[in-house]
Amino acid sequence: MNHAIISCLHANLPAAEAVLNDIDRQGIDTITCLGDLVGYGPQPNEVVELIRKRDIATCQGCWDEDIIDGLNACECSYPSQLAERRGHLAHQWTDDQLTDENKSFLASLPTSLRRDRLLFVHGSPNSQHEYLLPDMDAFAALERVETAGADILFCGHTHQPYVRELRDGSIRVRLQNADHDCDQGEELTLPMRKIVNAGSVGEPRHGSTNATYVIHNDATDEVEIKEVPYDVGQTCQAIVEAGLPKVFAWRLSHGFEFAEQAEDASHVCER
Amino acid sequence: MIERWALVSGLRGDLETYDLIQRDLKKTRGVTSLFVLGDLVGPERNCDALLDRLKNPHRGDLKPDCIYGWWEEQLLAERGFRGERKADALRLSQGEDVVNALLNTVNPSNLNWLASLQFGFIELDCALIHGSSSDVGDNLTSETSPLILLDRLTRLNVNRLFTARSTKQFHLELTGGGINSQVKDLNGKREQQQEVPKRSVIGIGAGLNYTLYDVGSDKTHFLTAGSKTNPKRKGFA
Repeated sequence: MNHAIISCLHANLPAAEAVLNDIDRQGIDTITCLGDLVGYGPQPNEVVELIRKRDIATCQGCWDEDIIDGLNACECSYPSQLAERRGHLAHQWTDDQLTDENKSFLASLPTSLRRDRLLFVHGSPNSQHEYLLPDMDAFAALERVETAGADILFCGHTHQPYVRELRDGSIRVRLQNADHDCDQGEELTLPMRKIVNAGSVGEPRHGSTNATYVIHNDATDEVEIKEVPYDVGQTCQAIVEAGLPKVFAWRLSHGFEFAEQAEDASHVCER
Repeated sequence: MIERWALVSGLRGDLETYDLIQRDLKKTRGVTSLFVLGDLVGPERNCDALLDRLKNPHRGDLKPDCIYGWWEEQLLAERGFRGERKADALRLSQGEDVVNALLNTVNPSNLNWLASLQFGFIELDCALIHGSSSDVGDNLTSETSPLILLDRLTRLNVNRLFTARSTKQFHLELTGGGINSQVKDLNGKREQQQEVPKRSVIGIGAGLNYTLYDVGSDKTHFLTAGSKTNPKRKGFA
């Protein structure tokens, strides 16, 4: 059976509606959302209410968490001083706009969802703020999936959709301890695991303005990355009219792949 | 010999043990640095005398460089040095009585010094941490999955991680292996191969059991303070 995974809607209602329409057209009933319903974009209440109305299973993203808990992430969240200033401005604006009811909904979201061997998180099983980039250290990537006890890990946060299969892994070790003067060598065979990043509905950073999401077939484990065009200009105009930083509209209109993200993807935010 | 480090942990207020280690080190050739990887305090005894000695070494003592460990983390949390967090891990594992006992073992005048201690040191290509890069309470042993050990090394981008939390003495070396991965995105597919880097995790022991590390030759020696053991018999390359 096919199911759809969406992530990082970022208060972009036209993009969210376009993606949900695309999923509906394919007759897919099961949708999982990996969080970041708000932040950057101009329609936070509308997007949260759309997800609530559709009763879509959702886990909490880093923006959703920050709106509830306050901005207490460590310095890894922003790559520059200007980016931090813009982020704080957007945080304050979103905080002012969101209704108490919608904030309560964001607060109620779990940090992960699990269906059998499938695990759904926003950033990584460790943190909503950790980036699992497509080219990160393969052993570290495998560790995230394996330690979480999953076969397939679905994540978002990077705004770059990808499917990464980790296979044919092994680690040889040699142990020496205080009780044994002789070496003990052994080899651990690592399991095959997969990481699927759903990209971003509301703020793509893969070099195109199209919204992205993924479809997974739980019988064959095939994953399809989907791109959906939407009225980017409408959202950009709403960003400017809302008084949000204009650079948010600019990068949305470019799908800018070098948009803001923590430079050290291996860093784990120590909140 | 370029440098020889002594690595100690788990003193838990035991000045007598620390004194034995210092005496050992005075008799051992070439020790240039002493690192105390946390658990300076514990609930069993008053710890102030040990803390005073660590802060104000005796003449002839090898000057210790200290970091905080799990027991300091619990004490500092309960004393309000960690924001809203309390000594929940200790309370959960050992109960309220042990939390109270711990609070009574350290004079409040020592708390600021304990709170000033770092999480760990990076020296050359080595990380010296009580638990691991993941958490001060991360209990790494020789039985821990090599995948997890490699992750802890990778997070810090170091070749050696000296850890103390388990209280065990071991030297686990990652000697080989690899992994293949395929990434598919909107630009197509690409294959990647990665080899296991030659890296090690070293458990340094606790209390009387401590470790010497020869930086130039990459040899570890597992020792027990006060024993007659010849370091050469337990040296591992």
